[in-house]
Amino acid sequence: MSSTSTARVAPIVPRGPAPDAHRRRATRRRAARPWLLLAPTLVVLAVLLLWPLARVVNLSFQDYGLRELVSGESNYVGWANYAEILGDSYLWTVVLPNTVGFAVCCVVLTVVLGTLVALFLNILGTFWKTVCSTAIMVAWAVPAVTGTYVWIWLFDPLNGLVASALAAIGVIEPGTVNWYTDRLGFYAIATLNVVHHGFPFVAVTVLAGLLTVPKELYEAATMDGAGAWRRFWRITAPMLKPVFAVVTILSTIWDFKVFAQIYLMPGGNGGNAEVFNLGVWSYIQSFAQGKYGLGSAIAVLLTGLLLVITVVYMRTLFKEEDL
Amino acid sequence: MRRPGGALTWSAAGRVLGVAAILAFALFPAYWMFSSAVDADAAHRGATLVPTNLTWDHFVRVLDTGGFGQFMRNSAIVALGTVFVSAGVALLAAVAVARFTFRFRTSVLVLILIVQMVPLEALVIPLFLQARNLQMLNSLLGLVIVYLAFSLPFAVWMLRGFVAAVPNEIEEAAYMDGASWGRMFWSVLLPLVAPGVVATSVFSFITAWNEFIFALTFLQDADKYTVAVGLQRFFGQNTADWGAVMAASSLITVPVVIFFVVVQRRLASGLTAGAVKG
Repeated sequence: MSSTSTARVAPIVPRGPAPDAHRRRATRRRAARPWLLLAPTLVVLAVLLLWPLARVVNLSFQDYGLRELVSGESNYVGWANYAEILGDSYLWTVVLPNTVGFAVCCVVLTVVLGTLVALFLNILGTFWKTVCSTAIMVAWAVPAVTGTYVWIWLFDPLNGLVASALAAIGVIEPGTVNWYTDRLGFYAIATLNVVHHGFPFVAVTVLAGLLTVPKELYEAATMDGAGAWRRFWRITAPMLKPVFAVVTILSTIWDFKVFAQIYLMPGGNGGNAEVFNLGVWSYIQSFAQGKYGLGSAIAVLLTGLLLVITVVYMRTLFKEEDL
Repeated sequence: MRRPGGALTWSAAGRVLGVAAILAFALFPAYWMFSSAVDADAAHRGATLVPTNLTWDHFVRVLDTGGFGQFMRNSAIVALGTVFVSAGVALLAAVAVARFTFRFRTSVLVLILIVQMVPLEALVIPLFLQARNLQMLNSLLGLVIVYLAFSLPFAVWMLRGFVAAVPNEIEEAAYMDGASWGRMFWSVLLPLVAPGVVATSVFSFITAWNEFIFALTFLQDADKYTVAVGLQRFFGQNTADWGAVMAASSLITVPVVIFFVVVQRRLASGLTAGAVKG
């Protein structure tokens, strides 16, 4: 493109102000190019992410129900939705503990398990390292939806593997125990599901980080008589601090917005209000109860919570590297 | 790390145990899924670890009377549509942020990072209302458009690493030979980042293939269901046809697992390139 315009302009006006103008034009074109390349992405993000976000905030200040859905009119009620949510003891005793407690448990277990697996893989030979990492890749790749159904099936109170095995050794009477109706039991199964799905990411990332730690450091520490425990806390942990920061914060963000894994479990789609987290509560209020305004307010609350975590994430990331 | 006598056998035994534990924990759910799918009496297998009567009946039932073939076609259409558009759009944006220095470049990168944190639960309400107004509910095209939005930021972020990994000198050599920017992009840059585009596309494909919350909200007629929603068909009021559920789950899972394991190397290198390198 630029070569043709050079050919056209140059012979006609060999000197004077025109080459300057031409150079300016070329500079401007070069300056515009990144924006032209970015334009489609920015348009998509603006229309499909930023605009809906603005809309959900707007909806959260409305009593938007089925009537408004049909008529398309707005119905502003100020902070009423937020007052209703924040004044509801259900939020403080059920939904928030479910969301935060579940996320904290999942993150701690995911990061600890992932790190242990990475440390273990690091001492294996190439063959077994490949075999094990392929196996954990399979665990990572199993879709959340089908993975959830497998866990539900494993813990099925009537014929599932766990109930049958426990009944066989006489711990429980078959068909008398239903873990899903109990809040703790429900979330224990959900935690198992999410940790199983999440630890491969941590393991793979930490393993990649471990490869960057110079071997000499460990050799020197071993010579000084440091055991494996001391070597981990004195060398590995400080060296991999940025890696741990990133996997912890990313896991936190992901575990706060777990939806399908809760919604698909028995009772999670509306049957048992004891087990909702923020995302499921918002969805049920909107699409099952038809209270889109209230649901939006809950969604805004969840988004705000994630935004705070994201800011922490960005801070950590920016300290480590210059974008 | 050879130590005399007992220490060696203990550490070897520890490794064997460790490998066994990792393999068992990582693979057991997938094994249980597949083995239930081929077990003739899946619903009553209880704690029997090996399926008793092997059969493909569950698969036949799921595809035949369950209409799961249609759901898989729908999912494939949606996923491929998402992949083609998002790969192209994301590559352009990745070139912009990896190859050019311009004002607000950092702001654009921060924006791309931040929008990945937005929970889908917050987007599903306004996008549902919007799609309803535009008569896009119950349409696969509507889903493609929505999936584009949340596969793009990740794709840009990952491709940026792949583009940055191509040495600047190669690009400059193309200019020296008289190539225009467009020519350089098509003949030099694109072939070099093609593996990265493939890896990123696989990830977009998986995201779209598995997506649940939007498919659940948008699709109303059974003939439009994608696999994640179609699975619910095999659940009764209080019972589940576990053989069918596990057979259908296997049909969803197998292509994803194969794709994922095949591109794992590329994916890991792209992730670290995006995360570690500037």
